[in-house]
Parts: sequence; C-alpha cells; structure tokens
Amino acid sequence: MVTYLIRRLIGAVVMLAVVSMVTFSIFFVVPRWAGATPVDMATRYVGRTASAEMAQVAAQRLGFLDPVIVQYGRWVKAIFVGADYDYGAGVEHCSAPCFGYSFLSRLPVWPDMLDRLPVTASLAIGAAVIWLIAGVATGVLSALKRGSFFDRAAMSVALAGVSLPIFFTGLVSLVVFSYGNPFRVTAPGSTYTPFEQNPATWAYNLLLPWITLAFLYAAGYARLTRAGMLETMGEDYIRTARAKGLPERSVVVRHGLRAALTPIITIFGLDFGLLLGGAVLTESTFSLPGIGKYAIDAIIANDLPKVMGVTMLAAFFVVFASLIVDLLYAVVDPRVRLS
Amino acid sequence: MTAPLDVSGTELQAAPEAVVEGAGGAKAIQGRSLGQIAWMRLKRDKVAMAGAIFVIFLILVAIFAPVITGLLGHPPNEFHQDMINPETMGPKASWGGINKDFLFGVEPVNGRDLFSRVVYGARISLLIAFFATMLSVVIGTVLGVVAGYFGGWTDMIISRAMDVFLAFPLLVFAIALAGVIPDKAFGLEGDTLRIVLLVFIIGFFSWPYIGRIIRGQTLSLREREFVDAARSLGARGPYILFREILPNLVAPILIYSTLLIPTNVLFEAALSFLGVGIRPPTATWGGMLSDAVHFYTVPHFMFFPGMAIFLTVLAFNLFGDGLRDALDPRSSR
Amino acid sequence: MTRRSLVVATLSGALLLGVAACGGGSTSTSPSGGSTGEAAAPAAADAFNAGIGKVFNPSDKKGGVIKFAISDDFDSVDPADTYYGFAWDFLRVYGRSLVTYKPAPGQEGNQVVPDLAESLGQASDDNKTWTYKLRTGVKFEDGTPVKSADVKYAVLRSLDKKTFPNGPTYFNDWLDLPKDFVSVYKTPDVKTDSAIETPDDQTIVFHLKKGYAGFDNFAALPGTIPVPQAKDTGVKYREHVVATGPYMFKSAEAGKGYSLVRNPNWDQATDQIRKALPDGYEIEAKANADDLDNRLISGDVQVDLAGTGVQPAALSRVLGDPALKARSDNPTAARTWYWSIIGDVKPLDNLDCRKAIQFAADKVALQTAYNGPFAGGDIATSLMPPSIAGHQDFNLYPAGADNHGDVAKAKEALTACGQPNGFAINAAYRADRPKEKQAGEALQQALARVGIKLTLKGYPAGDYFALYAGKPSFNKENNIGLAANGWGADWNDGFGFLSQIVDSRTIREAGNYNMSVKDPAVDALIDKAMTTADATARNGVWAEVDKKVMEDSYVLPAVWAKALTVRGKGLTNVFVNDAYGLYDYLALGVQ
Repeated sequence: MVTYLIRRLIGAVVMLAVVSMVTFSIFFVVPRWAGATPVDMATRYVGRTASAEMAQVAAQRLGFLDPVIVQYGRWVKAIFVGADYDYGAGVEHCSAPCFGYSFLSRLPVWPDMLDRLPVTASLAIGAAVIWLIAGVATGVLSALKRGSFFDRAAMSVALAGVSLPIFFTGLVSLVVFSYGNPFRVTAPGSTYTPFEQNPATWAYNLLLPWITLAFLYAAGYARLTRAGMLETMGEDYIRTARAKGLPERSVVVRHGLRAALTPIITIFGLDFGLLLGGAVLTESTFSLPGIGKYAIDAIIANDLPKVMGVTMLAAFFVVFASLIVDLLYAVVDPRVRLS
Repeated sequence: MTAPLDVSGTELQAAPEAVVEGAGGAKAIQGRSLGQIAWMRLKRDKVAMAGAIFVIFLILVAIFAPVITGLLGHPPNEFHQDMINPETMGPKASWGGINKDFLFGVEPVNGRDLFSRVVYGARISLLIAFFATMLSVVIGTVLGVVAGYFGGWTDMIISRAMDVFLAFPLLVFAIALAGVIPDKAFGLEGDTLRIVLLVFIIGFFSWPYIGRIIRGQTLSLREREFVDAARSLGARGPYILFREILPNLVAPILIYSTLLIPTNVLFEAALSFLGVGIRPPTATWGGMLSDAVHFYTVPHFMFFPGMAIFLTVLAFNLFGDGLRDALDPRSSR
Repeated sequence: MTRRSLVVATLSGALLLGVAACGGGSTSTSPSGGSTGEAAAPAAADAFNAGIGKVFNPSDKKGGVIKFAISDDFDSVDPADTYYGFAWDFLRVYGRSLVTYKPAPGQEGNQVVPDLAESLGQASDDNKTWTYKLRTGVKFEDGTPVKSADVKYAVLRSLDKKTFPNGPTYFNDWLDLPKDFVSVYKTPDVKTDSAIETPDDQTIVFHLKKGYAGFDNFAALPGTIPVPQAKDTGVKYREHVVATGPYMFKSAEAGKGYSLVRNPNWDQATDQIRKALPDGYEIEAKANADDLDNRLISGDVQVDLAGTGVQPAALSRVLGDPALKARSDNPTAARTWYWSIIGDVKPLDNLDCRKAIQFAADKVALQTAYNGPFAGGDIATSLMPPSIAGHQDFNLYPAGADNHGDVAKAKEALTACGQPNGFAINAAYRADRPKEKQAGEALQQALARVGIKLTLKGYPAGDYFALYAGKPSFNKENNIGLAANGWGADWNDGFGFLSQIVDSRTIREAGNYNMSVKDPAVDALIDKAMTTADATARNGVWAEVDKKVMEDSYVLPAVWAKALTVRGKGLTNVFVNDAYGLYDYLALGVQ
C-alpha cells in the first residue's frame, strides 16, 4: 500500500513537471517561431505609450532576455523556495509556492488563484450534488424499468442533454430566466456572492449555472448508470443472490448498485477534478469569476504567469483526483487490492 | 475473407440472435458474417437509422452548400444593409426578418443571410470533426495496439503519455495553443491554416481516449485462444498484429469514432465560441453563437446555429449508439 | 403625470431657458454650503438627453450611497497609473489635482479650474516655467496637511514607467529632468530641482524643456494628486490610495470591487468645486455586461462606470421603449473610430489609390458596424471629432448621395492610380472587438464593389499595437494596408487629441498608435500649433492639421463616437461633462 502510494505520488509529480514544461514552451517557443524578439514580447506589457527603451527595460525586468531554459528554471525555483520581486518602493519576498507576478496587473498569481478557487469550487460542488443525485437515480430507475415509458422518456432527454453545448443551454437559460424578464423571477446567474457573506444569496445566484451544468453531466451519468446497472443485473452473482432468496431491494442496492457504481466513481472523480481546474465554458457563459474565466482572460491577455499558474492548478486537480479515485476503488470494489 | 476473421465470426454466431435473425428471413439458415448481422440489427433500429439519414443529409448539405444557398439563399458573406434598422442594428422586420428570401432571417448589424451561414457552417463543423476524429483514431489505434501488444516498457511509456494528456486542462490548453499560433505558419495561411490547426489540436488531444480502449482490447485479444493458435502455428509479430488482432479491433474503432465525431463537433464549436477558432467572416456555428450573445433580444440569431449544433451532435450520437448496439452483441439495450 | 413633477418640469424648462440665455452657462456649479437648497428633491421629468448640456434633477440633498458597476475594471486606482477617461473622471472624488475640469454640463466642462491650487498656473520664461500656489488647510485623510513636496513627489513617482506602466507620459517628455534621475525609488537622492522646485510648503514650480502654453492641462492630470512619500508602497499603493478629496477608500480589491466612504479630514471650506452629496460609493468590477445593462434599467445599479453605453441587446430595448428612452442620454465622446490607410504598403503609396478607398467605403455600413447612430456615433468626415475645440466640418470625400459610397469616383481614382481593376490588400483589426470585426466585414463588402480585395486579419487586442498593426515592419511584411484604430482625446484640444496620432516623428519600431500619417507638412503644422500662444489661432492650426491629414488620405474616418447611456434610478445632479464625455461623477447625488 505504502509503496503503491509512493509510486503514484512520484508519477503525479513527474506528470505535473511534463505539463509545466510543455505549457512553458508553448508560450515561449511558439512566439519566437513567429519571429517575435524578447523585446517585442515585452512591449505588450508596458502600457499605452511605451518607448523602445521602456520595452527594453521591461524585457529585462521580466527576464525575457535570458534563455528559455533559464527562465523555466527560475519559474520552478520560485514555486519551491519563493522569489524576490521589485515592488517599485522596495523588494518584496514572494514566499513559496510562488507562481510569479502577473505581467499586467503585477499582482502575485497564487493568492489571486486562491481567491478564484471558491467560485469554481462552489459551482462544481453544487452542480455535482445535483447531477449525481439526478443522474444516478434516473439511470437506476431506467434500468429497473427497462423499456417502460419512463425509461424511454428519460433516455431521450439524456441523449438530448449530452448533445447540447453548454454555452447554448447557458445562453438560453440566461435569456429566458434572467435577462429576459424584468422581474428576475429566477436567479440572476451572472454574479457571485461568497458563501460566507450570505449562503442564501450564494445559492440563489448560482442556481442557474448549477442547473445548466448539472443537466449536461446528469444526462451522461444517467446513461452510464443505466448501462452499468443493466450489465451487472445480468451477471451470475446477481442471479445467485436472487436464487438464495435475498429480497429484491437488497439485491439491487447491495449487489447491483454497488458494482455498477464503481465505474461511475472513476468518471466522477476525473470529471470533478477537471471541473475544479476551471469550468471554462460555464464560467465564461455566466461571467463567473472562477478559475476557468481567469484562465481565458489570462490567455487572451497573454499573461504568462497566470496561464502557467492556472494550467498547473488544473493539472494538479486532475492528477490528484485520479489518485484519489484509485484509492477509493479499493474501498468500494472488493475485487481490487492495491499491491 | 481471411480465416482468422471467420474464426471470430463463428464464435459470434453462437449468439442466439444470429440464428433468430436467420430464421426471420425466408431463406435457409446460413452463416452470416459479423458485418451482415450488424447491418441487419442496425436496419431494425429506427432511431439509429433516423440519425444516419440525418448525418447523410448533413454531409450532402455541406458538400452542396454553394448550390443550396444559390437556390435558396444569398452568398454567406453578402451584406443586406437594407434589412437592418440602423438604430438598433437588429432586423427591420419582425421575426428576425424571416421571409421567403431569407429562410432563417438575417444576422443583426450586417443583414447577412442566416440560412446561408448555417449551411456553410456545416462545412467547417463537419470537416474539422471528421478529420480530427480520423487523426485521433489513427494515433490512438497505432499507439493503443503497440502498447497493448508489446507491453513492458513500450506500454509503460505510452500509458504514461496518455495519462499526461488526460491530465492536461484540455480546453485551456487548446485555447492557448490556438491563440499563440501566428497568422501564417507552416506555409499555410487564412482559413486553411486555422482548419489544419484545429484538426491538429482537437485530434491530438482526443487520441488518448480511443488509445486506452484499443490498448485494453488488444491486451485481452493477445491472450485469446485464436492468437495463441496462430502463434503456435508459427505466425510472427506483424502477421498476428495485422491479420489476427487488427480485424478484431474494427468494431470498437468504428463505434468509438462515430461517438467521437459529435464530441469533436462540440469541441470545435466551443473553440469558435471562445473566439479562437476559424476567423471571420467565415461562418461557423460556434462563432455565430458567440456573436448572438450580444443580440439575445433577437432570439432567432442564437436559435438556428444552436439548433444546428444540437441536431448534428444528436444525430451522430443516435447513430453511434445504434452502431454500438448492432456491432457489440454483449451491449444491452 | 402628477402635479409635483409637472412643477418640476416647468422648473427645468426655465433652467433650460436660462442656459440658452447665458450661452451655455449653468446655475448648478456654485458650491453649496449645504443649506442653500431648501427644495426636497422631487423626481425630475425624464426626457431623452435630459443630462446633456444641462443638469438633470438638480438637488443639494446629501446622503445615500451611489452604486457603480463596470464590466471591466480600473487599470489602477493609483493616480500615477491610470489612463482611462472614466478613471480620470472618478478619481476626482478621492484625489485633488492642482487644477481640474469644471464639473459643469456641456462645453463648460472643458474649462480648467483650480482645485488643490488657489488659481491656474502662472507662466513665465516663455511658458517654460509654471508656478502654482496650493490652498491652505487641505489635508490627507489621516489629518496631515498637504504640502507642495507631496505634489512634487507624486509627479516624480508617476515618471517611473517600470512601476506605473499605464499612465500618460507627458511629464516624462516635457519636464527638464536631470540626466542621472531614474526614479524616486532607484535614485532617491538625485536633486530634481531643475524639473520641479518647492520653494515653500505652498508653492510648486515646474520647469519644462520647451515652452507650452497649455500646461494647465498637464497640471490637471491625475499625476499631480499629492501622494505622501511615507505612505507610498509602489505598485501596492493602489491597495490604499491616501485620499485628499471628500471620499476615501474603505476597501479596494482589483478585479472585484471598491468602496468609498466620507473622508473626515476633507473640509468644504477648502473646496470650491465639490458638493460631496452622497455618503459614499460602491463599485462592482467585472460585472456581466448584459446583466449590468439590465440592472441599470431596473435600478439595481445606478451608474455604468465605464460610460461606454449599453450593449446591443439593451440598445434595442431602450430605443424601442419611450419610457426607457426618456431615461437615456446620447453623449458625444471626444473619440474617433477610424481605419489607418498605410502608405508603406503598395499600391497605397499612391495618393489616388488611398483616395479610392475613401470613396468606395460605405459610410452607413461602417456606422452600423460601429453600432449605429446612437451607440456608435455620427458618420465622421475627418479625424478630429466635433467636441474638440477648433473642430471644423469639412468633407473631402463625399460618399455619394446616400452615404453608401461613390463607386464612380472610386473607380476614377483607381484609374488615376494605375490600378483600374483594383488591388488586393490585408486589413488588420482587434479580434476581440466585435465592432471592429463588423467594420472590417463592412469594408470588405464595400471595397469589393470596385475590385479592391480585402482579406481580414484579426489580432489579439493586447498585442495589437506592440506586435501587429502598430509595428511598421509587420505591416510591410504582411501587406497590411488598412488597420482598425480608435483614439480618444486626453483633453479636448488639438494637442490632446492629435499629437499622439499624426506626428510622424513619434513613429517607433513598435507600439505605434500613429500607423500611417507620415507627412513633413503635418509635422511642420504641429510645430506651428505648439508655438502659437493665442488659443483661437492655435485651434485654427490644429484644424489645418486635421485637413492636411485628410488631404493626404492617410486616415479613413468611420464615426465620431457616441454612447447611449442610461441614467440610473434615483440619481440627482446628472449631467455629461464634455471633458470626459461621461456623466460627471463628482456632481452626482442620490435622492
């Protein structure tokens, strides 16, 4: 168990390292291919009336004049030991984990990201609760009443659900429920109130994005659960369980559902990890100031430290979600033993 | 048809349906190949057939876009300023300017024919989705088979690579890449470059999904009796790979590529929606939706491109589901 | 309509007459002692453009909090580090520069009035030396008296573009700084008296490299808002800017929001221009633009801070509903949206080829692309917009009877330039600006009528000037003959508008806003304008510059920008100040 954990952890770190290297080179090597010099690259960060001399100064300040490998090394070092940053009125120490300072706003990236995280987490958790309950319940019921009207209707809706792009459903729901009516009968869906400030407003404001996002996932999960249930209910051990006279409820819940849920947990873990790293489309459709919106804004503004930071954060969530999923497997599925 | 496939064919014929189906026909019972059985099943699946027909319809629309718009619409980039109220920039007429000349109405601001733009949008959408799918299927199959068949270090490296790809915040990364590529590169420019770029980005990031499945299938096929048999008869690596294993992978490849196409349609639409896809004035569904955000008071503008994406993805999903049911006798419906 | 509002309607009618009588004057700008206005502040009658050229709903009632929202954010609330018009307008509530623009409706707002200083600047030595006397009794929010050294420090720190990249560079370019001075942080010991002297605590003297008669416009820049050196934290100063105005920051979180409360150490007796009506301001940053419009209409938000007008969706709602339209204003901004015609690219080096583009362009389609007559602006026939002092109306390239372009004239020009069948060039625009995209598409359609084939190239807005269209070598290599551009005046005279965009001597390797105008005659005229002391004569020279640029056909003007703005519910003293083209944020109050 311990060796397995250590092996997986090392794997995770290597993975993050690879992700960081690839992202870094995209932003530094590709523009060079396009013929941009380090000073050119710095010019975009020096404001409206920049002189060539100021661009030169900026290139130096941002470290663009060094070889890419040196810049990458500096970036990695800052994460582990921190870095010093010239604040104008003095040097400030940016303590580890230091993801550098935004080229444009000149604010440290890490606290900025931590600031955005609750928004994305709120969105992901709320939506996940809804889609898990709705999706799994629909899937199980559909499987048990296979071929019924309910099954057909639910599966049709689910199929439609997975076929709708979220920026379309989000837009439509905003227009119908928020913008369109002057009374805002339903939630506004385009503002965020922190949970600690007012839980009721928090939930009210997030209701629309939650439902929109959850609809997409619930549809997929209902299909998965149904397929999984049908498969397990056809297995021999279920027949055995029935044969030995177990009540149907117990067969379904303790044997069928448990086995059918295993793949759902894997997928859920990965989906959730991916969402925590930024629900890009949902957040941009609903203008929620989460990690995903942060990422898009950073990319559009070419703000490299932010892009690096957000990519790493997102990759971190995915990698650790998959790690946790594998560990959970051992608990849920008695056939899996970690060796 | 080669012997090994017949082997698996006979194996499949043990499934009761194959016999029942044979009995359903008036002809005498005779052996049917996997493909024939699948086709029989697929034909009976009305929903899947509807999906397939719509997909064919879409492909025809995309191919004959100039003819269709020539007959029923206007050139997709042509302005019709006279249809627009200059003060609000919206269409002058009600219902978004829908009439017999403009079947879907006109786009706000410039009065372009929405029908023509939706039709032309199908070209970009399908083109990118098909080629991206092909790319990811090719990469995924090759690497999946190699990993599954050779195992050991090869498998280890390829599997790790797949993990890395799956750990990437895909959309963020794709946007970043689509954003930093200059306007002219690799000897290409304009729409051609963007299409190639999008095909590459989408295809390159979706291969691990298919790669994992193929690897798993190869792993289990490698241990099957008929492969053992071929091996004991003296067959060598390449023969086993191409003659024994690959034919058995045709079904899963077919199923997952059909199911990957709609995902890629959505992916392309998302990139265009976020403004890193094909450049204007070329019409794309995602791009139209992102323009429509600012004109939500003229709902037809978001309705038609939105429905186009929805119906396309739905049709492929329906067809893909049906295909899976037909090709994979174990799947239950 | 109730009787009460009827009365008010006549009242404001009378006010209007008064305005007409005294030629743009207004009765609302006298400082209020707090008790002069005995009226209870009833709601004024809504009318379209009621906030333009006159004060809508005048009142002296104090109290309440004004709710602002913005879909973007401040570049910075640090006075040294901001270049947004709305920020320059708003920061007057917490900072006092030496002089500022008069909080008055219409043209009168362009007038510079003393604020921190007792009077406007005293010029000597051929306008090279400018002296200001500070008012006594002005204090920072912590009670420390403001000294001339604080103003000097503020100006000097704003020169540090490494720390404050956003602000304007007028002081960098004009002050007579010693060679060894780098920044207040790096070289704190270097004597800077050659640039700014502070002979005593109330006097500050600026020394320029060459004379400039309009220096008061420099002194009105946010850079002269005093900053106490002891409280300066460089980049981080924006987290708590020390106030000298009637309000101070309670919180300031970039990207989220700001809240301001009354500054107990501000004294009405030292201030002639501020009424300080509300008890504070709340600003929400990064709001959804469409949602913001809806909230503005419903009354949930009172002011759109950016002041750029409603989004297209709300536009049709506002124009379509008479009650809503009556709550809106249509102010003109001192801004022109135009396309640079780049003569470095063949065949545009030929004047006739450039003229062909002028004639072929469909001005109506362009106007619609920039969001139409209300939200976009008036069709422009020259570069300098009408709100700039000295603007003259002329149209060298009439675009046909219906303004859809003069195809015949364009073809003539093409023949004259030796390209009778047209030519092919590329056009650059900012990819994330829908209006520029639409305008590019409109041009593409219009120019195709005479055989000029335009290929559109969208580039990221953030890099547009640094890496793409603002870089002459890029334009040459990529055959970019047309580039979308837009410029707003720093202040409303020819210098404030034109100096950055038509002087060929300012063209650098990259990062240019002037992408196309290269004419020694224009440069000579600019020099002439700088040295002309008389304001009217000077304005005349700037008008000549404008005309010469159009004769050269280096610029295809599209629209002189306007915005359709909604007056928030319950606001008093609403009017548009021409100096900013925005509601005057200093004057606003709540009912």
